[in-house]
Amino acid sequence: MKKPHPIAKVNQPGTPIPASGTFPVFSTWDGRLIDRRDGRSRPDRGTCPDRFKDLPFRGLMAWNGIVLREEDTDIPSLTYAYLREARKISCGECSVCMIGIDRVMEIFRRFMDGKGTRQDLKEIAEIAHEVTVNGKCNFGRSAALVPVADAVKWFRSSFLALIRGEKRLFNHGYESAVTAPCIEACPAGLPVTAYIEKIKNFQFQESLALIRSKCILPGVIGRACTHPCESACVRRKVDETVAIRLLKRAVADQDLKEGCTPLPLPKVKKKEKICIVGAGPAGLAAAYHLRLMGYAVTIFDSLPVMGGMAAVGIPDYRLPKDVLLHETGLIRRMGVEVLLNRRIEHLKWDEWKKRGFKAFFLSIGAHRGADIGLAGENDIVEGFEQGIDFLREIQKGHSGIKSAHKVFILGGGNVAIDCARSCLRLGCNRVEILYRRSRAEMPAMPEEIEAALKEGVKIRYLTAPLRVICKWGRIEGLECIKVRLGAPDAGGRRKPIPVEGTNFILKADRVIAAVGQEIDMSFLTEKDKKLLFQGGKIFVDPVSCRTNKEGVFAGGDCVTGPATLIEALDMGNRAARSIDAYFQGKGFDEMRIFEGIDTASQRGGVFFPERRVAGEPSLEGRGRLDDFAEIERGFTQAEAMEEARRCLRCYRLMVWEVEKSRQETTQGRGK
Amino acid sequence: MIHIQIDGRSMEAKEGTTILSLAGRLHIPIPTLCFHESLSPFGACRLCTVEVKRGKKWELTTSCDTAIGPEMVIRTDSPAIRKSRKMAAELLYFKYPGTKLIRDTAEKLGVRVKKSQENSRDCILCGMCVRTCREVVEVNALRFEDRGPDHPGEPPRIGYIGDSCICCGACAFACPTGYIRMEPYGDENRRVIWDRVFEMAACRICGRRFAPLAQLEYLSRKAGLPLAQFMTCISCREAESQTRMVDEKDWISCHA
Repeated sequence: MKKPHPIAKVNQPGTPIPASGTFPVFSTWDGRLIDRRDGRSRPDRGTCPDRFKDLPFRGLMAWNGIVLREEDTDIPSLTYAYLREARKISCGECSVCMIGIDRVMEIFRRFMDGKGTRQDLKEIAEIAHEVTVNGKCNFGRSAALVPVADAVKWFRSSFLALIRGEKRLFNHGYESAVTAPCIEACPAGLPVTAYIEKIKNFQFQESLALIRSKCILPGVIGRACTHPCESACVRRKVDETVAIRLLKRAVADQDLKEGCTPLPLPKVKKKEKICIVGAGPAGLAAAYHLRLMGYAVTIFDSLPVMGGMAAVGIPDYRLPKDVLLHETGLIRRMGVEVLLNRRIEHLKWDEWKKRGFKAFFLSIGAHRGADIGLAGENDIVEGFEQGIDFLREIQKGHSGIKSAHKVFILGGGNVAIDCARSCLRLGCNRVEILYRRSRAEMPAMPEEIEAALKEGVKIRYLTAPLRVICKWGRIEGLECIKVRLGAPDAGGRRKPIPVEGTNFILKADRVIAAVGQEIDMSFLTEKDKKLLFQGGKIFVDPVSCRTNKEGVFAGGDCVTGPATLIEALDMGNRAARSIDAYFQGKGFDEMRIFEGIDTASQRGGVFFPERRVAGEPSLEGRGRLDDFAEIERGFTQAEAMEEARRCLRCYRLMVWEVEKSRQETTQGRGK
Repeated sequence: MIHIQIDGRSMEAKEGTTILSLAGRLHIPIPTLCFHESLSPFGACRLCTVEVKRGKKWELTTSCDTAIGPEMVIRTDSPAIRKSRKMAAELLYFKYPGTKLIRDTAEKLGVRVKKSQENSRDCILCGMCVRTCREVVEVNALRFEDRGPDHPGEPPRIGYIGDSCICCGACAFACPTGYIRMEPYGDENRRVIWDRVFEMAACRICGRRFAPLAQLEYLSRKAGLPLAQFMTCISCREAESQTRMVDEKDWISCHA
């Protein structure tokens, strides 16, 4: 079972805090008012994200409202700072948003010159309203002037003081941050909106460079990602989500067509050598970024190919291996030393340090199938295997599946589905998945389940295997039991409870267990295991990826347990920066400002004209099951540009006045 | 065919038509700046707003890129629509007071406009040129320079990719304000558009400079025919085609 990992960024609305105590003094978050200025106590109905308690700000202006910690925050100046930032993001493609911002800024300048009137405040409110209902993109509608209207409405006296010349605009020290729901949903924080905009503007190369900055395997991720970004896409409320994954793929494919741009080469050379164990997504991401910083990087892998789970865990019909080979090859060509077929049997730190390695990054993945806990499971010689081993054997070219075989697959995750669909392609059409919960609880991606069913895979729900029946060391069948679903367990999923007396036997030639993966830690000494591991996984600091051992970092599935490619890439990216900080003797801390804030919420409705894609670009009909040919066709360049135009540009902007104490320290640093 | 209601009129209409084109057929006037029937809708000028009923609420939307749906209730005139169109026009006038087209449009929509003879021919970012280049000419020499958090300060503008341009002049033709101009550069042998100078090709028969060389090269590439076939001007080609009919053998030798 795949549990949400504590490190995986969860973009959930933090428990909203009702107004109590002294924070916040004022808030219009989500359009609901909390106003406790001058000791006024109105009936508070508003809430504001809990997260804001930790952010060091005096007053904050964001797409969704104003939040004040201190009553004496200079609102007109904050508003002006917000406008300045908003103007950078406004695209200028429509006549209201950017010109509206310009017009409001012009009015502010008029205030400064002492030429402002009360009528101007009315005009600001009118412009703000118009941009909010008539902007072309969602930035205009949900962010550009929404809090500005709040400011004019609730801080009228401050603005009137400005008009009378009693106040002036000051730069009190402002900071800003920009995000979007899709960016927040992406574990690696890819700049989704920005690279889609580049596709729209026919800048595929620039788009690729942006993607590569956070995701070094664009073609792979563009095919095999679980795309949490698409679930967060605001366009879903209008018609369908923007096909973000396919857009990324289109960029990668276009680059291949145009003759492949190489990766940038390091500009400096650093003397430190870094050892990376495991050439999976996490290891490759770390290798790329470290190499780009100028470090000498060596990767070891026990497999004969680079890519880790992407190479041996994802079947070809989802991810053709030439794409992976190309993208991993580019990293190799940057000057990363890759030693394949090197299984590390015993890791002896001293020996490795003698070889000159100053830091280690462990990204060994989770390549060992988990035991299912069946009676007789460990006695079987033939016909019973682990799903992950099965997929690996297919990559090596020998699966041992015969067309007459009756195959049962145990489990309901993506690996189970991959195994089932692979069996079909190997000519075996009697494939059945046994899953002990119902369809709703299946952890596999819904579109994968759908495709498997369409291709002819049978799924038997609410069935749990009890015992494997074997004869002369060969599998004969499975004894199963019907189950019903009980109350939800600690993980939130309903617990299956066996129904007495419903045992039955299924005749089977092959049984493939795909119920989870574990980390193989046999290469470590007992002492190291105790030091590094916790609960079967390597324990790291969630931000810096540091393990309990000096100079050793870890990331990917071996830290998170079986997770997604993009989460592994994120840890690789982060580990590279953290290792760099380690060599420079600095601490590593990256604050995720929007974490715990619901970036999907916005004031006002989303009413945009519907605009759908031209249809599912996939390999359809007969011939699909004959071989492992890729199912998805992907977008052409023109289709990608058309699809990119569907992006609503839901940029979320936040500008805040830095707390006094912090301001002094930044000034002390000479800023 | 689906049933809809527009300005109180019940009617049947073809699904997928935009509100703007339907209104055009019904002779309902809707102001536009960035719309052209040969180009895809862009929704830049925000002048063509109408209201569509969703639940009990009227919601503002641009008519050029909103397709009609079953049982849609539309109105093309209301105080909110007039206010919204006027505000969009007012903002455009604030930004481009010197451009005649904007002044005229704004005046029509009720904005108080100062009388002036000036015409500064500003780029109003309507995207007409970009779409013409992409959709009609299929060249992609123009694009919006993208903007976002990484682009501080720069004003939005149309980017020109000189290497892709074939100097066809379609963008200059489509430009509603006259910002884009295609002009002779010095003499008739060269022509300038945006900031690139193009050589004009001479007809191989009469020697007249008749088209930009880049355009002929593009046509030759697209048609997969030798450039020499395109190097004849239209009047010479007519004369030539008559001789061609006389003697086909001669035609083959002349294009060898």
